Amino acid sequence: MTLGAPAALWGLLAVPFLILLYLLRVRRRDHPVSSVLLWQRSAATLAAYRPSRRIERSLLLLLQILATAALVTGLARPAVISPYAPGDLLLVLDLSLSMRARDVSPTRFDRARREALEAASRLRAGQRAGVVIAGARPELLVPLTFDRARIAAALRGLEPQDASGDVSGAVALAAEHPLGPGGRILVWTDAARGPLPALPQEVYRILGTSDDNAGITMFRAAHGPDGAEALLRVDNFSGRPRRIPVDVTHERTEVYRGTLDLPGGGSRTVVFPVPASGVFQARLVAHDLLPDDDVASAVLDPAPLPAVLLVSQGNPYLERLLQVLPVARAVETRTADPRTWGAFGVVILDRTDPGPVPPGDYLMIDAVAPNIPAAAAGEVGGPRFATWDRTDPILHYVDLSGVRVARALALAPQGGRVLAGGDVPLLWAYEGGGIRALVLGFALQDSDLPQRVAFPILMANSLAWLGGGGLEVRAGEALQVPAGGAAAADLIHPDGRRQVVRAAEGMLLLPPLTRAGVYRLRGPGGDREITVLSADRRAGLIRPGTAPATARPAGPGGGLLSSQVPLWPWFLLGAVGVAVGEWVLATRRPGGEA
Amino acid sequence: MTVSLPPAGTPNQSGASSKQRLPPAGTPNQSGASSKQRLPPAGTPNQSGASSKQRLPPAGTPNQSGASSKQRLLDPGFLQKLEALSLLSRKRVCGVQRGERRSTARGRGVEFDDYRAYQPGDDYRYIDWNVVSRLDRLFIKLFSEEEDLDVLLMVDTSASMAAGHPSKLLLAKHLAAAVGYIGLANLDRVGVSAFASTAGARLERLRGRARAGDLLGFLEKLEPSGETDLLAAMRRQLAASRRRGLLVLLTDLFDPRGYERALLLARARRFQTFLIHLLADEELAPRLAGDLRLVDAETGRAVEVTVDAEALRAYAAARDAFFHGIERFCFHHGIDYLRTTTSVSVESLVLRWLRQGGLVR
Repeated sequence: MTLGAPAALWGLLAVPFLILLYLLRVRRRDHPVSSVLLWQRSAATLAAYRPSRRIERSLLLLLQILATAALVTGLARPAVISPYAPGDLLLVLDLSLSMRARDVSPTRFDRARREALEAASRLRAGQRAGVVIAGARPELLVPLTFDRARIAAALRGLEPQDASGDVSGAVALAAEHPLGPGGRILVWTDAARGPLPALPQEVYRILGTSDDNAGITMFRAAHGPDGAEALLRVDNFSGRPRRIPVDVTHERTEVYRGTLDLPGGGSRTVVFPVPASGVFQARLVAHDLLPDDDVASAVLDPAPLPAVLLVSQGNPYLERLLQVLPVARAVETRTADPRTWGAFGVVILDRTDPGPVPPGDYLMIDAVAPNIPAAAAGEVGGPRFATWDRTDPILHYVDLSGVRVARALALAPQGGRVLAGGDVPLLWAYEGGGIRALVLGFALQDSDLPQRVAFPILMANSLAWLGGGGLEVRAGEALQVPAGGAAAADLIHPDGRRQVVRAAEGMLLLPPLTRAGVYRLRGPGGDREITVLSADRRAGLIRPGTAPATARPAGPGGGLLSSQVPLWPWFLLGAVGVAVGEWVLATRRPGGEA
Repeated sequence: MTVSLPPAGTPNQSGASSKQRLPPAGTPNQSGASSKQRLPPAGTPNQSGASSKQRLPPAGTPNQSGASSKQRLLDPGFLQKLEALSLLSRKRVCGVQRGERRSTARGRGVEFDDYRAYQPGDDYRYIDWNVVSRLDRLFIKLFSEEEDLDVLLMVDTSASMAAGHPSKLLLAKHLAAAVGYIGLANLDRVGVSAFASTAGARLERLRGRARAGDLLGFLEKLEPSGETDLLAAMRRQLAASRRRGLLVLLTDLFDPRGYERALLLARARRFQTFLIHLLADEELAPRLAGDLRLVDAETGRAVEVTVDAEALRAYAAARDAFFHGIERFCFHHGIDYLRTTTSVSVESLVLRWLRQGGLVR
C-alpha cells in the first residue's frame, strides 16, 4: 500500500488530543438516587475514576478515535499497488545531458531506458504504447501502437544529447495525444532543470541522487588583434567548492595547463593565447558523475571565410577587399562558367548576367539570375536606404544611414527576405532550391557605399552567411548546408563515426547534431568543420529535482509499471459510517451523550 | 426465629425459617445469585391502590373513628383478613396486663407449663394430687400467664424512602398499619415511631382495636425527609421503652454509619427484632447508563460513575455482598429478616410472607 499524501498522517496527532479532550471535558449528568452507598462500595465505581478505565470502557470514544483515524488515513490518500496498469502508455524519456550522470548505475538514462523497456514488455494485449523523447526539441518518436517490437527498437536506439531536454514540452506533447481509459504518461527524468508539469495521468520516475558535477560550458578560439586566443569557461554545478586541473591540447601538444578553484555553484573563465589554427581540445582532469562535459573542442579556422570566385569585368573595390578579408581563396574571372564554380564556397556575380545558376552560394551585385524569384523590372533612380534589418547576421554592425545610391534595379522579389531598402528592395536574401543568394540591387560604382565603413563589414558578413568556413551550432539543432552541386557528403562525428549525408534539392540535410564537439562535413569542395556547442550552460546541472506534488508518485522499478487502486474513498466512507454510528449510539444511550 | 434465610448451605437453626426461603421472582436481579435474594415474589396486585379507596368497610367493623385513614392505608377486606391474625413472639414476654399471649410469669394462667417440687408457701390449689398419689411426693403445676405484647414499630422516614413506585415509605406505612392493626386487634400494646437522623413523630403505645384509627392517622402523616441515622433512632426509642417486646423495624438500611450497632443494641435490650428491609426495584437493578453524577437523596453526596455493563455487574456484586452481610448478621444474632421490594403487594407480604416469616400467624 502507498500513501499519496503521507503528510496528512500528522492528523493522527488529533487522536491523543481527542483522548485528552475526552478526559478533560465535564460530561456527567446529575442523576438523583436514593443512596450512593452501594455505588461507593462498587469497585467499578472507584475504577471509573481512573482515566485509563474510562478510556478502556468508552465505546463512544473508541468509535470517535476510529472515525478520526479513518478520516486522517483517507486524507493521506492510501492506495494499493496493482502490478499491472491498464490503458495506453506514453513513455517519455528525458534525453538531457544530465541523464548521462553515473550516480545511477550505469547511467541515469540507461536505467530509464531499461525501465521503459520493461514497461513496454509488460504491455497486455490491447494496450498501446508510444514514445516521446524530451530532447532539445520534444518529438513524438513512436505514436501509440500495439507493436511492442517497434517500441523496443526505438527505445534501444535512443541516446542522450549534449543539451537540456525539454521535458515540459515533451509532457505537453504527450498530453496532446488522447489516451484511453486508465491511460498514463510515464516520464523518466532527473527533473534537474526546473519544475515539471502536473497532469493527472502522469507518473514521474525521478532518477539521480547527486549533484556532483563540474563541466566546460564554453570553449572557443578566435583570431584577435594580438593573435589567436582561446576562451574557456568552467562551471562547478555541485554545492561544494572544487579545485579542478585543466589542460588544453592542440594536436596532442599542450597549449595550456592550469588549476581552477571554483566555489560551490560558481564558475571561472580563462583566456589564453593559442599558437596555431586547428582543433583544440580542453579537458578537466577531475572525477565527477558526468564526464561527458569534462571535454570540449574548439576550432580555429585559418580562413574563416570561404573560397571566393569573383566573376566581374573589373571591380577595384571588391578586388581590394578580397585581398584583405580572411577568405580561404580568392580568384577573379571575367567569364561565367558554372562548371568551375563548384570548387568555391561563394561566387560573386558582379554586373554579370550569368543565366540560370546551379545550386550554390552567390552574391549577385547589380545582377539577378533568372532562376531565382526576383525579377528586375527596369531601374529606379536615386533610391534610399530607408530601413534595414539590424538584427540579421548579414547587417550586424552595418550602418547604412546616409548611403547614397544613384540608380538601382527595380527588384520585385517573390519570397526571400528584404534586408534593406526603401521604395525598392536594395538588399535581398534568398534560400531555396539549393541556392543561397544575396542580391545587392545596385552597382558599387553607382553608390558611395564602398567609401563607408559599412562596406567591408557588409561584405564579410555576407560571405560568412553565404558560406562561412566554420559552422557553429548548438547541440540538437538540425543543419542544412548547400551541397554545391554534390550529391552527397560524409559527416564525420566527433567520435570518428562516419555518416553519409545525401543532398536534396541542392542542400545537404544533416541529422540533428546531438553531441558537442567538432563534426567534419567532407565533400567535393573539401572539409568543412561544424562545431557543436553544448546547448546551454545549465545542461551540466545534474541535481535531481522532485516530481510535482499533485502528480502520481512512482517507486523505483516496478512502481512505474503498476497502477494504484485508491482506497481513500473507502476510508472516508468508513469514517462517515463510524461517525454516524457513534452519533446514533450516543443519542440512543439512556444516559449517554455524544 | 430468623425470617430471612442463611446463605445456601448454611444449616438453618429454625424449622420455621427453613420454610422462608423465598424465591426472588419479580425482582430483576441479573446477578444470578438467586439464593441470596430473599425477596417475596412480585405480581401480586398492590392493595394500596385506588381500588382500596372505593371499597367501603364491612358492617360491624369495630372502629369507625379512623375510617378515613383506614380506607387510605388498609383495604376493608384486607382488614377482615387481618382480624384473624395475631403477632407471634418467639420469646416469652412479660406484659403489664392480661392479654392473649403467653408470659414468662407463671402461675395464674390456664396453660400448663411445668412441674416443680412443692415449697412452703406455695398455693395448695396447684398441687397435682395425681402425681402425689403416684410418687408420694408433693409437686405443684406451673402455668404460663397470658399477658399483652409490646409491639414497637419503627418506620424509617428518611429521604431515601421516597424511592420506588410506589415509594418504599408508602409500603412501610402499609406494613406498619397491617402489623399494628393485628396487634391492636389482639390487645397488644402498639407503639409507632418514625425516625430519620433526628427524632421523628412518635405515637405512644395504643391498645385495643378502637385505637386503630389513631394508628392509621399517624402513619398517614409521615413524609420522607432527612438522613438515616439508625443507631441514634434506636437509642432514643429504647431509652423511652420501659418494657421489652417485639420490635418491627421497617427501613431500607441505607445508613452510611451501618446498621449493626443499632440492631445489636435492640438485641441487648432483649427485644425480639423483626427487620423488614424495603427496597425499590431501581435499587436492585439500576437502569442507568453513561457518565453520571449520582447524587445521594439524603446526604447530597455525589459519586461520578461511568455506568456500563461492567459497572452494573460490580454494583450487583456490591449489592449482593450487602445483602449477604445483612443476612449473615441477622442469622448470627437471632434477628428475623425479611427483604422485599415495592413491587410486592402488601396483602401478599402480610398474609403470606410475614406469616411464613413467623411474625404473624
